[in-house]
Amino acid sequence: MNDILTIILVLIGAPILGCLASGIDRKLTARLQGRVGPPLLQPYYDVRKLFSKDNMVVNPSQNFYVIVYLVFIVLSLLMLVFKQDFLMIIFVYTVASVALVVGGMSTGSPYARVGSSREIMAILSYEPVLILYALAIYLLTGTFKLSALLDKSSPLLIYTPLIFIAMIVVLNIKLKKSPFDYSTSHHGHQELVKGMTTEYGGPGFATIEIAHFYEYVFLTGLIFLFWASTPVIGVLIGIIAYLLVIVIDNITARVYWQWMLKLSWTVLLVMSIVNIAFLYVSGAQLA
Amino acid sequence: MIENTVMLLIIVPLLFSLLFVALPKSLYKYLAWAFFIIGVALSVSLVLGGTGVVPVEGPNFAMFENIVLVLEVLVILFILAVSAKYKNWPTLGLGIISAALFAYTYANVPGAESASFNIDQLAQLMILIVNIVGTAIILFATGYMDQYEEHRHLNRQRIFYFTMSFFLAAMNGLVMSDTLGWLYLFWELTTLCSFVLISYNMDEEGINNGFRALALNLVGGVAMSIGIIMLATKYDISSLTGIATYAGTDAVALAALALPVALLCIGGFAKSAQMPFHSWLLGAMVAPTPVSALLHSSTMVNAGVFLVVKLVPAYANTSLGTAIAVYGSFTFVICSALALSQRNAKRVLAYSTIANLGLIIASAGIGTPLAVAASMMLILFHAISKGLLFLCTGEIEHTIGSRDIEDMSGLIKKAPLLTSIAALGMISMLLPPFGVLLTKWVSMEAASNNPVVIVFIVLGSALTTVYYSKWLGTILSSSMDKNAVPHKKLETYFPLSVLALSIIGTSIFIFSIYNYFIGPQVEILLGNVPNITGPVGQFTSEIGAFDYAAVFVVLALAILIYLATKNMFTPRIASYYMCGENNLEKDRLMFRNGLCSYEKSSVSNIYLQNIFGESKLTTFGYAISIILIVIALAGGVGL
Repeated sequence: MNDILTIILVLIGAPILGCLASGIDRKLTARLQGRVGPPLLQPYYDVRKLFSKDNMVVNPSQNFYVIVYLVFIVLSLLMLVFKQDFLMIIFVYTVASVALVVGGMSTGSPYARVGSSREIMAILSYEPVLILYALAIYLLTGTFKLSALLDKSSPLLIYTPLIFIAMIVVLNIKLKKSPFDYSTSHHGHQELVKGMTTEYGGPGFATIEIAHFYEYVFLTGLIFLFWASTPVIGVLIGIIAYLLVIVIDNITARVYWQWMLKLSWTVLLVMSIVNIAFLYVSGAQLA
Repeated sequence: MIENTVMLLIIVPLLFSLLFVALPKSLYKYLAWAFFIIGVALSVSLVLGGTGVVPVEGPNFAMFENIVLVLEVLVILFILAVSAKYKNWPTLGLGIISAALFAYTYANVPGAESASFNIDQLAQLMILIVNIVGTAIILFATGYMDQYEEHRHLNRQRIFYFTMSFFLAAMNGLVMSDTLGWLYLFWELTTLCSFVLISYNMDEEGINNGFRALALNLVGGVAMSIGIIMLATKYDISSLTGIATYAGTDAVALAALALPVALLCIGGFAKSAQMPFHSWLLGAMVAPTPVSALLHSSTMVNAGVFLVVKLVPAYANTSLGTAIAVYGSFTFVICSALALSQRNAKRVLAYSTIANLGLIIASAGIGTPLAVAASMMLILFHAISKGLLFLCTGEIEHTIGSRDIEDMSGLIKKAPLLTSIAALGMISMLLPPFGVLLTKWVSMEAASNNPVVIVFIVLGSALTTVYYSKWLGTILSSSMDKNAVPHKKLETYFPLSVLALSIIGTSIFIFSIYNYFIGPQVEILLGNVPNITGPVGQFTSEIGAFDYAAVFVVLALAILIYLATKNMFTPRIASYYMCGENNLEKDRLMFRNGLCSYEKSSVSNIYLQNIFGESKLTTFGYAISIILIVIALAGGVGL
């Protein structure tokens, strides 16, 4: 009974939080650029408007991938809330990412395909770091199940500072923020016309937006785990990381995807591996 | 009961190979159907018959031993004859070495009094793979070969079907026999069959690649027969179970066995096309697609990993085991990187096969119960998915006339059923809830105590996701031109559907498969079972839990939501966005350029040739893998 209540709470609560986060993002970005910015609830108004639009498609089955994207994001969020196996959560999350990529490609549109190709490279960049993060949790708690991590009284961050830094960059990549926003450029930047989602409009695009709301919560949840022993601090770190990503978004310019691949397969991976090697050598365990 | 099934499993494929020679081409279709049905029936009856050892003794043994002897002489003579005929000196040299080793064995190794077939759970699993996937591939071939030969003006189908069936017989013998001498004979027979099949086209490329396969496998065969001679003369061991028993006595015995076991493993690596030997499997793709499918999924390469897994008791938790694990995981990551850079679908699949076999070997090398369980499950799931993908690639090639991944865009519009099946095959290779991913998850969790192995597996797994999702997106992308027409033949689509359904079935019933085959086999090999429990729909080990039922439910939910909402928002088809510069009067695929003429838009995937290309990585891969093998051998002699 309690579980069902939690599920309902997550299903309703997460998009509200995600919507607010998205609104804050737009407001903050506007202020940093010296604009007034839209109302806080603008993302919600957008979604409501999109649902009232015609369902214009290029490929009749393209919206299927969007639904897969949405339900698997929700599933990975639920698994996170229910403290399941972290490695498994990452794989379920990969289903969602691949579904969106395939959804973009399924339209056959040149812009969407370029965006999807770049997003695949993003997967290549962040997935090893995510799995090494899971490995760090295993080494420190003896299990991949998150339930063990949440029982501990000391925070994960003390032992995994390098992975934390790598995860901030991963957050940046996953939220498709500058300097890594090349798979879904905004229309103003013209050259990619919203990348993967170019051919999505109306209800299909609204679904993508809702899935993004869930994804915001899921991704900050991953950061939360670094200090899950004291939930208040964990939430705070999650919020700070999110705000940091917005600031980075506004003070950096887009880079080539090659640059991101180099960054992640050299700096981020080496940092994570050094961190992991330290954990192996020291044999540290979370108290 | 079980004796009869064992004999039938070798005799029936032989009988079919003779029937293929004797009967006219018009009957091949019916023969293949009969072969498929009988193959399924026989393998299922072997599984139902339970496990056990089938000894061969007395006059029967003498007769079989003579047959084995004659066959071995024939194999060697054949190798010498073809290599002399085509003036392939390296192969001839290796053939002479094999002959010398054979003569040495005959003169110096004391003859055994009996031999035996050992039907354990792994053998049962392999028999199921060989006789269901293998015969399905032969059935597929009957709908494929006519068109293939027509294009190339060949007429060698008699040889083709004879060898394919003979291959299955040899493979059945290989996975069932416990006696090393017999195992070696079947081993060499599969090498020979693969040579004949790879050089099927009889053009220069085919023959060269055939000889490469023959030579590299002979290297493995030589290593293996040295290992067998050492085992027989020094330790008086003549069977696989003998190795396990001897290794189990004490630590000294375990250490003493390391060198011969490492040599046997090198034989396995060559057969499984692991890194320094991998070029033969890449060369093998010149053969017709059913041959590739057979080599990659149900026969040949599986023999190598089968042997490596069978030898687990002799190296689990030793330095040799760690060396094998590092070697396997290195092959996994380097071949996944190479697969990323390939445009040719068959090459992608070939590298993916090598990579996955590397993962199997890595898991076996780790040697914990959980890891060994993962390696055996991966053999099963990989065989089904890879067989399906190769057959799909063959059929795609017949539909669109190309095996370049870039040419496959828009395939979903041209051949929807074929594309859906191929997509299922690809998804099963990289995403949950399907078996391959689940076993990858198990092996990752099992490998997490070895830092080098786990980092290699993590990188390889990310690369795998990339090269498959790239291809998956390409075949599922829609296009506006629609000119290819799929051939809807029953012999083509029936095997594809059987394999596709087995992917789904095995993934759903993974826990029953685990309980029936894998768990007991791990107990035989290592003496204890991985602590895996399962509340309904979950796969729980001591360090994690995989909730595959939840993923299935959610996937079903996604399909339901899609179907339910499809009519709520009536889709309106539009042409795609091109900054308003579409050529509306023509096919809408072209941009209008500055001169008001039209240019076709084309987008290609990213292949990262200059980072992961063959020219960049192959030499590096050779160097490291040879060093790792030397380390394995050095670990074997205890340096």
